[in-house]
Amino acid sequence: MINSVRQTVLAIANKENYGYITPTDFNLYAKQAQLDIFEDYFYRYNQWINRQNQRVSGSGYADIVKNLEEAIDTFSVEQPLFNTLNKYTVPSSCYLLNKVLINTDLKHEGTTTSENNLTDTAADFIASGIVAGDTVAAIVDESTVYSIVLTVSQETITTTNENLWIESGLSYAIYKTNKTKESEKISHSKITMLNASNLTAPTFGFPVFTQSEDKISLYPSSIDSVGQVVVQYIRTPKQPNWTFIGGGTQALFDQSASDYQDLEIPETDEPLIISKILKYIGISIRESDVYQAAAAEETKEQQKQG
Amino acid sequence: MAYLTGYQYYENSGTGNENENWGTYQYTSLTDIVNNFMLMYVGNDKLINNAERYNIIFHAKRGIQELNYDAMKETKVIELTVDDNCRIILPQDFVNWVRLSLYKDGVLMPLTENTQTNYAKSYLQDNEAKVLFDQFGNILTGTSILDGDRIDGASKTMYMGSGSMSGNMGYNVDGSWVFDYSVGARYGMNTETANVNPTFKLDKKSGVVNFSSNMADEIVVIEYVSDGMESGDDTLVSVNKLFEDYIYAYVKYTILSSKFNVQEYIINRARKEKSALLRNAKIRMSNINPSRLLMNMRGQSKWLK
Repeated sequence: MINSVRQTVLAIANKENYGYITPTDFNLYAKQAQLDIFEDYFYRYNQWINRQNQRVSGSGYADIVKNLEEAIDTFSVEQPLFNTLNKYTVPSSCYLLNKVLINTDLKHEGTTTSENNLTDTAADFIASGIVAGDTVAAIVDESTVYSIVLTVSQETITTTNENLWIESGLSYAIYKTNKTKESEKISHSKITMLNASNLTAPTFGFPVFTQSEDKISLYPSSIDSVGQVVVQYIRTPKQPNWTFIGGGTQALFDQSASDYQDLEIPETDEPLIISKILKYIGISIRESDVYQAAAAEETKEQQKQG
Repeated sequence: MAYLTGYQYYENSGTGNENENWGTYQYTSLTDIVNNFMLMYVGNDKLINNAERYNIIFHAKRGIQELNYDAMKETKVIELTVDDNCRIILPQDFVNWVRLSLYKDGVLMPLTENTQTNYAKSYLQDNEAKVLFDQFGNILTGTSILDGDRIDGASKTMYMGSGSMSGNMGYNVDGSWVFDYSVGARYGMNTETANVNPTFKLDKKSGVVNFSSNMADEIVVIEYVSDGMESGDDTLVSVNKLFEDYIYAYVKYTILSSKFNVQEYIINRARKEKSALLRNAKIRMSNINPSRLLMNMRGQSKWLK
């Protein structure tokens, strides 16, 4: 999609090489335009929900809310979090933390004593009730990785991800799969009172969390095991990169470059992103005609989308 | 798939307490109530949106507490031995008592509540009746004479206590016990307090029940109501399924009525729904059925003496 957008943009703006946009500039404009459209999804989603409640939106193919949900869900990620005690680090790409899940059924936790499968001479996995299908979380290079238990003996477990256990001394925890509880986000102004109230104090059944910078703190504070917290979040779109070979006006598109990154918004938004990029170009080359035409086109497109 | 297999229900899958799941089908857990409410009553296209889950938990628990106080009819029963100071400590989850009984000689005898004061805190005083303090300025306290007399049986009481019938011999005739009538009548007797059984009085602040003097080392059965909060263990909090719809209606009403800008007719609708469901649930809980009515009707031709 990114090449198609660039070609269209150049075709519109580049007259007698006056409006030529270098790949670097194009990538910057494309990033801004994509972020702009991405943010708009959430506002439009809210507007369409209001319209739905006023019964002025349709169902089936006219269900705009569903379309927008699909567009937003393409940026949805589910990932276990790395923790230091009960402070869990949220990924830097997180735009909106939608759901925080807690693995509540902790069966066993410890540290591996050998690099051969999951081996812990201090453990008795059978007595701990571990069975095939349980989830194992381990910390590898400051990130938490999940795998599934395949076979169990007293001290050794084989898992779906064999390459995980390449060194001893790895912290791990084993949970019953799919036994999770959703944690609720609480504002800092409420958490003290919430903890102090007998009726609402957080429990394993109804856990809560607060967020500070890129860390979330779980309540009750006993939620602090390896891989105990999984988040589902909406990430920010990756920075688009139109990669090329050659240079200057002779630059040729190279999709095989390792740092190539396509635009991530749906193709149906191509006219909108072209208008937005043209608007930036209009400002850049101080061409008011380009800016005004692009702005008018963008407004028309937005009105159409609601 | 069934919620629980037969094996899980009857034998708890062969692990832990065998009776863990017996009768659980009557109840819906707090977790289910909160989940179902969040799923079905909270959302962008629902009457309630942007409600925090802790709000739902709070109101659901309050609703369950209210039901436990009267409507639910789920009394807890505990047997305790009275200590040498003629008292028992109230159960951990005690909220209010329903009945206290003395269990003796195979008979459960309901006890009367003593409306007279039978306990007191005592301040230590010097010979000039001045209150005594410790080095930190706190008042020194001791055992009150009132308490001592109650334990020793020295205090007078308007309750009959052992009474004129006490110690009378009975006769066992064909397996039934028969006692002699006392000759004459007791004119002027206060029938309200005429009870041969020991008496008790609750000291709510101290968390104990004080009994009359003859109760030391006796066995007491206390029937009481709790608030259903299971001493703070949320996993055990549940409500009878007959009240499930009422709890949803109660939570909906309390949230709508405390939200800003909700039209009064919506709040009224929720209030009426809540009240109607409570009435329905109470009727269901009263278990009026033909066989019970039949048993009651059998008494209609009984001769009254």
